[in-house]
Formats: sequence, structure tokens, C-alpha cells
Amino acid sequence: MRTLLRVFWNQLFGRDERARGVQRWHTSIAPGTATSTSFFLIMRRMRAPLITLIVIFAISVVGFTFVPGQDASGAPARMDVFDAFYFMSYTATTIGFGELPNAFTAAQRMWAMVTIYLTVVGWAYAIGSLLTLLQDRAFRQALATRRVVRQVARMREPFLLLAGYGRTGELLGRAFDALGQQLVVIDKDPDRIDALNLAAFRATAPGLAADARNPHHLGLTGLDHPYCTGVLALTDDDEANLAIAMTAALLRPELTVITRTLSRVTAARMHEFGTPTVVNPFDRFGDHLRLALRSPAAYQLLSWLEAGPGAPLPDRADPPQHGRWVMCGYGRFGRELTADLRAEGLEVTVIDSTRPVPTTGEGPEESELDDVDVETAVGLVAGTSNDIANLSLLASARERNPRLFLAARQNRPENAPLYTALGVDSLLVPTEVIAHEVYAQLSTPLLWRFLHEMPARGNDDAVALIARLRDDCGPDLPPLWRTDLSPAVAPALADWIAAGGATLGALLRSPEDRAQPLKVVALMVLRDGTATVTPGPDFVLAAGDQLLMAGRPAARRVMEALLFDDSLVAYLLTGRHVPSGWIGRRLLQRS
Amino acid sequence: MNLEKVVFGFFVLLAATLNFGFFIGDISRPELHNIYELVAALVVSLIATVLKFGDRTQIGAVHLATSLVADLQLIAAGVVWAVATKMSEHGLSEGATAAMVSLSGGALVANMVSVVLLVVETASFRRS
Repeated sequence: MRTLLRVFWNQLFGRDERARGVQRWHTSIAPGTATSTSFFLIMRRMRAPLITLIVIFAISVVGFTFVPGQDASGAPARMDVFDAFYFMSYTATTIGFGELPNAFTAAQRMWAMVTIYLTVVGWAYAIGSLLTLLQDRAFRQALATRRVVRQVARMREPFLLLAGYGRTGELLGRAFDALGQQLVVIDKDPDRIDALNLAAFRATAPGLAADARNPHHLGLTGLDHPYCTGVLALTDDDEANLAIAMTAALLRPELTVITRTLSRVTAARMHEFGTPTVVNPFDRFGDHLRLALRSPAAYQLLSWLEAGPGAPLPDRADPPQHGRWVMCGYGRFGRELTADLRAEGLEVTVIDSTRPVPTTGEGPEESELDDVDVETAVGLVAGTSNDIANLSLLASARERNPRLFLAARQNRPENAPLYTALGVDSLLVPTEVIAHEVYAQLSTPLLWRFLHEMPARGNDDAVALIARLRDDCGPDLPPLWRTDLSPAVAPALADWIAAGGATLGALLRSPEDRAQPLKVVALMVLRDGTATVTPGPDFVLAAGDQLLMAGRPAARRVMEALLFDDSLVAYLLTGRHVPSGWIGRRLLQRS
Repeated sequence: MNLEKVVFGFFVLLAATLNFGFFIGDISRPELHNIYELVAALVVSLIATVLKFGDRTQIGAVHLATSLVADLQLIAAGVVWAVATKMSEHGLSEGATAAMVSLSGGALVANMVSVVLLVVETASFRRS
């Protein structure tokens, strides 16, 4: 009968259900029960202590009602249940009041002694259990998870899910916080999550200490949250990054996914799932070095812009463009870089200690530097995965040839001071490369576009732009922002633009004195997908243009006021002060 | 055999039977309702409640709810008794006794529901 009913039911509604299931791509991965675990844990562990306490109270109270007593006049007077419970309440809680309602008899005192010790044991047990529970690792973990889950669920502005809060995550966290971009962090290591909680971010970034390879944990940190806009898989484990990229691509195909990896194989696998942006620091370093070879100033500008607001201008590296380079270490990094250098038409000699080396491990032996004739080379790259080997290589190479251009790969963040002390000309810090890359891609889409277009403009343009940025905005990198000139966003400019002849130079003037230019730099104008890099003052604006601007916050406020304030625009264009209020305008029209 | 279930079943049943023992008898005659039975019923009911702490099953939650109702009613009965014997001029009058016993009657209903739930849980255990 039951089967019949079920068949009938399926016939009626089953197909519909299935169809609905297909449409609903969204898979829930964070069951709600996980959050109440800690509460149930407390309740469960407190069972035994609470029952002990109840039993002790019951025995003590009932006992008192049986023990003979007497009142002030000496007549027999037993306590009843109420009196006994009252007495037990203040005795057991160690408040201690005295002997009520009448002075006790010897028998009552004996029983009181028994109950005092009994209840002390009961309380000690109950409170001790509670304290143990509060210090329990699993319990605290459950509490922390619950707090994070609640924080994430309450988020009401777009956030990025950052998996892996290492050195890269820290750099990115700071840069995104300066931009006002919300983050949710998941990292395997509880110490890193503590570091995140101690980091003085303006907006709190919830952090969960859990393994991001588990889709359930990603769900807890908001992968299926409607405000999640992107996933950054930046752990130092390629497999974990692959797993995160996979999870994100399968469960939320529309999200932006950025992952890091050091191997091309993993990158290819990541591309099999959706369209993640894969950052390979070795690859990028090669590209950067090539750019530095071709146009040192463009490379300097690129690394400045990628470093985020407030970064000081980096020194301009000047790698030798002709001559022979020596590449030490021919692993993944060495192979990438050798190919890049050769593509630039440079001669590269490779040292790789695939032959057994007795003492230094991965680094080549000292004598190998003789083999490759360092004295006649122009550049040397120390690219092994061992910092000590790299440093010793750099030192001995410099000793042999002081004019050598030294490039190195830094593997561990704590060795940074050593490389700095050695005075390396070009240093690859993979974590920083990734952080800068991700920042450039996510901070504003226009910046990413600009960084792609800018190198083609050549070295001289980059030199000029750096000089302009320094003159107008000071020695540190000013904030970058996007200005949209569509009529809906910039109503004050709409008429002027529609009339034609609206030039950038006419607009960007100081509102105090229109003879003075406003201290902002227009880095790029994007119109219908076509980018114009560093437009000059004669550039004619059109409705819908998107501008990438750089300038101090005060200049930005002025510029944003320009978009709305008719009178300000009128002053800048005509030099006349037009009242901005309705009454003022009426009066002006009358006169 | 699950020891946890045995212990819980024991306490639920004991709470119901003690409650019944206190409740039975003419509702307005104080001498038929022993206060110690009320104390025993309350204590056992409290223990049954604590035993359901941290049970995440659906039926466990309902058990907890019914036990809490029984506790509440029995505590109310105890308060009525204390007020009548200690603060009222008339002592444990017929009205006060009736109020106390009827409150315990409410608790008895909740305890009965607990017993029914227990039976249902036991009966459906194998089949699910």
C-alpha cells in the first residue's frame, strides 16, 4: 500500500521537484546545525554535574525535614521542606546566614555539616566541569566557528573570500582594507587567524581556522553568501589552491576566482574548472624582468602602481641589455626565467647542480662559478630554492665581478634583511608578486587595463608620468580611483560634454582659482573598450568615458564635487560665479 | 540495549508515577497529598530534564520541552504550598490545596506526554 502511495505521489509531484532541482544550481554547503554544536556540547557535558547537584540538594533538603529540632521555647519543631530548601540555598551557595528559623539542635547541626560538605563537592564538580569545558579546545573551536559564521552571515556588503592568510594574505589584507574592501579569511593555521584578529584593520575581517580544502568550511566562511564577490586561493599548497578553485567553480561558477601556483601543470588543471585567474609568481617575475630590460621606467611605474596606495617610489632597476647572463638553479623558476631572457635575445649560461654536490645541498659549488666565467658576464640570477645557497652565490659572484647585475629569488620572508644588506638589484619575493598582482586585478579593473597598456607607450612616457605623479601628488603613491562620466553619475557635466569641446584640461582646475590646475593625474581614459593612456589636457571628453585618476584625497573630493555641482563647473568653464541655490538663481535671473 | 535509554526511561516513568501518586486523591483535602511526594516528583522530573540536555534529535527536543513544562508546573505547585503554609493566615486551606494539586495535575499531563513519547520512540526504533 505504502509503495503504491509513493508511486502515486511521485507521479504527481516527483517530476516537478526534479525539474526544480535542476534549475536551482545553488548547492547549500553549510548546514545550519553546525552552528549550534557548541551549545549542545555544553548541555551534554553538564548533564552529570547538574544531576549530581540536584541529587545533593534533594538529599540535603529531605534530610533536614526529618532531623528533629526545637523552637525558642524548647518545643519540638521540625523544619518543613520550605525552611530546609531556604537553608540549603544559602548554605550550598556558600553565602551562610545563620541558623533559621530557630537555633539548631545538635542533630540539625550534624546534618548541616554533612550537607555543607556534600554541596561543596557538588558545586566544585559542577563549576569545575564548566570551567574545563570552557577551556576545552574543541569547545573553543566550536565557539569561534560559531562567531565567525554569524559574522559572515551578517555581512551586508560585497566581500572577498581569502583562503590562506600567509605573507601574501597579510599584504593583500592591508591593501584591501585601505580600499574599504571587506574580506573573510580562512586559514589552516590558528596562529595566522590570531594574527588576523590582531591586525588593525578598519573593518573587522572574520577569520576561521579551518582547512579550506573542505568545501564545508568554505561554505561556513561565506562561499554561498550572496554578497561574496570573489575567491582568492592563496595558500602555499598548490593542491589546496586547486581544490579551492574547483569548489568555487563548481558551486559558484559566476564568482571571480584568483589562485596562485608555481607549476604550469597545476595551472592547466585549474583552467579546466571555469576561468580562474592563475598567478604564477615565477612567470610574472620573468615578465617583469623582460619589461625592466626593455623599459626600466615602465617597470618602475608598474611596480609602484601595483604596490598600492602609500607605497614609496621604488628605485629604478637598470639591468644590462647586452651581454651574457648566468642563471644558477634550473628548477621551475630557472627554466621560466631562462626562457624569458633568451626571448629577449640575451645569452644565458645555466648552472644547475644536478650532479651530486657534497656540502651545500642545492647550490652550485664555488668552482662552478669559475666554469661559467663570471668575470665576463653582465648579470647573475641566484634562483635556487634555498636562500642560504642563493646568498652565498651572490656574495661570491660579487667578489669576482663587482659590476655584475644581481637578481635573486627570496624563498623565506624572514631572510629579506639579508638580501637587502647584500644589495641585490632585483629581488623576486613570490608572496609580494602575488599580492601586487591580485591587488592590481581586483582594486579597480581600470588599473589592470592600464598596466597592460602602459608598457607599450615606451620608456620616455613612463619617465614623464612618474615625474608628473611625483610633482602633483608627492613622493608616495596617491590613491587611484575611477571616475565615470556617464550622465547618470555626472549630471553637472552632461550638458557641457554634450555641447562638445569638453577637454580634460578645462575640467581639471582648482575651484579656488581656475588658473591653477587641479593636482590630479589622469592615467587613462576608457571609451567603448578603447583605452587612451595618459590623456593630455587637450583630450576631448565624451559621455560614458571612464577615467582612471590618481591624486590626494582632497583632490578626489573636489573632482567628485565637480560631477554634481553645476555652479562649480560653470565657474571652471566660464570664470563666473553662479549661485548654486535655487533662490540665488532666481534673483540672478531677475536682475 | 542502550544504558542511556534505560536510565532516561526509568526517570521519566518515575517522574510520572510519583506525580500521579501525589495527584491522586480528593483534590481539596491536604492530608491526602504528601509534600514529600511533590518534592520527589520535582527532583526526579528535574533529573529527567537534565538527562535530555544536549540531545539533538527531534524527539529529544520534544522530551526536553515536556519535561520543562512538568518542572515548571511542579515548581509552581511547590510555590503555592510554600505561600499557603508560610504566608497565608489560613494555612493550607482547601482552595490552596486544590490549586497545588491541580498544578501537579498539569505536570502529570506533561509527564504522561513524556511517557507516550518514550513509548513511541521505543516502538519506532527498529523500523526507521
